[in-house]
Amino acid sequence: MIGERRWQFVRRALSARFARFGGIVVLVVVAMAISAPFISPYDPIKQDLSTALSTPSLAHPLGTDNNGRDVLARVIWGTRISLAAGLVSVAIGALAGCLLGLAAGYWGGGIDGFLMRLVDAVLSFPALVLALALGAVLGAGLPGVLLALGVVYTPTFARLMRGQVLTIRTREYVHAARLLGGRDWWILARHVLPNAASPIVVQASLSIGFAILAEASLSFLGLGVQPPDPAWGSMINAGRGYLQQAPWMVFGPGAALFLTVLGLNFVGDALRDALDPRTRG
Amino acid sequence: MGRLILRRLLATVPVLVLVTFGVFLLIHLVPGDPVEAMLGESQDAVAKETLRHELGFDQPLYVQYVTWIGHVVQGDLGRSVRTHQTVLDNVSHRIRPSLELAVFAMLISLCVAIPLGIVTATHRNSVIDSLGTSFVLFGICMPNFVIALLLIFVFGVTLHWLPISSYTDPFDDPVAGLRSLMLPAITLGLALAAVIARTLRSSLLETLADDYVRTARAKGLAEWTVVRGHALKNALIPVVTVLGLQFGTLIGGAVITEYIFALPGVGRLVVDAVFARDYPLVQGVVLLICVGFIASNLVVDILYGWIDPRIRYSA
Repeated sequence: MIGERRWQFVRRALSARFARFGGIVVLVVVAMAISAPFISPYDPIKQDLSTALSTPSLAHPLGTDNNGRDVLARVIWGTRISLAAGLVSVAIGALAGCLLGLAAGYWGGGIDGFLMRLVDAVLSFPALVLALALGAVLGAGLPGVLLALGVVYTPTFARLMRGQVLTIRTREYVHAARLLGGRDWWILARHVLPNAASPIVVQASLSIGFAILAEASLSFLGLGVQPPDPAWGSMINAGRGYLQQAPWMVFGPGAALFLTVLGLNFVGDALRDALDPRTRG
Repeated sequence: MGRLILRRLLATVPVLVLVTFGVFLLIHLVPGDPVEAMLGESQDAVAKETLRHELGFDQPLYVQYVTWIGHVVQGDLGRSVRTHQTVLDNVSHRIRPSLELAVFAMLISLCVAIPLGIVTATHRNSVIDSLGTSFVLFGICMPNFVIALLLIFVFGVTLHWLPISSYTDPFDDPVAGLRSLMLPAITLGLALAAVIARTLRSSLLETLADDYVRTARAKGLAEWTVVRGHALKNALIPVVTVLGLQFGTLIGGAVITEYIFALPGVGRLVVDAVFARDYPLVQGVVLLICVGFIASNLVVDILYGWIDPRIRYSA
């Protein structure tokens, strides 16, 4: 029975507009990230000034940068950083947000009031300004950016989880578990969390694309991954000064970023539509 | 209406207090000694001690907060450790280009989004709808710094039509001013246009299926009269909310846009302060941005209640 429902869910998700295209893009990006050491045509960091700013050719399909590094190799290795940034920052946000939302929704009262005001306060910071300010104090580099983006995404998950818990905590099976003497944390983990998980998964899948964009924005500004490591945002920033001589330095990683976010959005939309067919536009 | 305004104002107070606390703590999140981070290790001990005393770091945390918030409510948001100018002076010199950019971007986005939203909704599942949806996807998924570089490449580097990194105040020289703001405003406006067009499309689709629209059609009114006179006004209500919510995106986008086009605005000021490790300036400017953001959300909330009486009565 459960297997049949899962199969129906997959079929509904696949029937959403552009879902297959999005799924293929995401699969390709994940495969690139995993197999980067095997498929990358060159070392992404090793410089070769004799080939600097070479136009795209068979030897260098996306050309080379100002240090003679192959742009395709750097784009391929960059998928690792982008995906890691998207996944880890959203995981931090989802974990922290779910814990806050669970506590606020389940216990209510003063705890709910305080936690939701805290969430409102974080939401009062424009996302990129908050990430920039936190990234600035935590220091440039991937860990600071991941933590900063995690904080940015926490309120969304907290509000979503709270809303779910407020509905679920009035259900009969939760009352029954309480009457049977179940402890709060056991009820939350065994009954509330599994029933509130679906919208969280959809929100997470939609957030990953935007987290990748945010990481690229911070790397573009110089706060994220530091050169010579290949991150799409910092590659685009490096290409800014060579727009006239070597526009491929910008458009290679720019296209990779656009396609990845587009694919993730299609997958997120398909999951959302499969869970709630009313949202189909 | 008065009750709604009062309720919203009261709800803002605890949020503002928590925001000030968060902004205050920002400087204390710096790993190690923030004074050393700002001045560098090479500075002599006396200079460090002086700055530490000036910033109140030799006091307990709660005393620091009370002193700081006391200054903030009197309009003293601190002073840059680099230029020794006050935060308010810094911001007042930079606010004009940012506001001009925001208004210009908003105008561009509305000019693109409203016709696009109407056309895609009234021609659902047609070629026009597909093209419109593609534009929306492009605007949402393409990072604005890549859009900016694309525009610079086409209109600045290749065609030489527009300047790529200079600022002229439109009030001093309207033509040169508008030309200098054209590319940054398109960069910022495109993403906004995509979000507004998507919201208007889905809202209009919903409204066009309502009974009163069917009645208007049954009366024999022309389709355009039905859309313009009956459906559009109601469909625009969610757009107001989205516009308010997008204010944050606009500020974030302005940070990057001003950085790329070298516009001397508040966004550029934040980036410069971050890289100069001028934490009191970062703290002051971020606080001002947040207060502006909260105020804009408050205005949208109240405006929403004014447009839609149901919200007024439920408050």
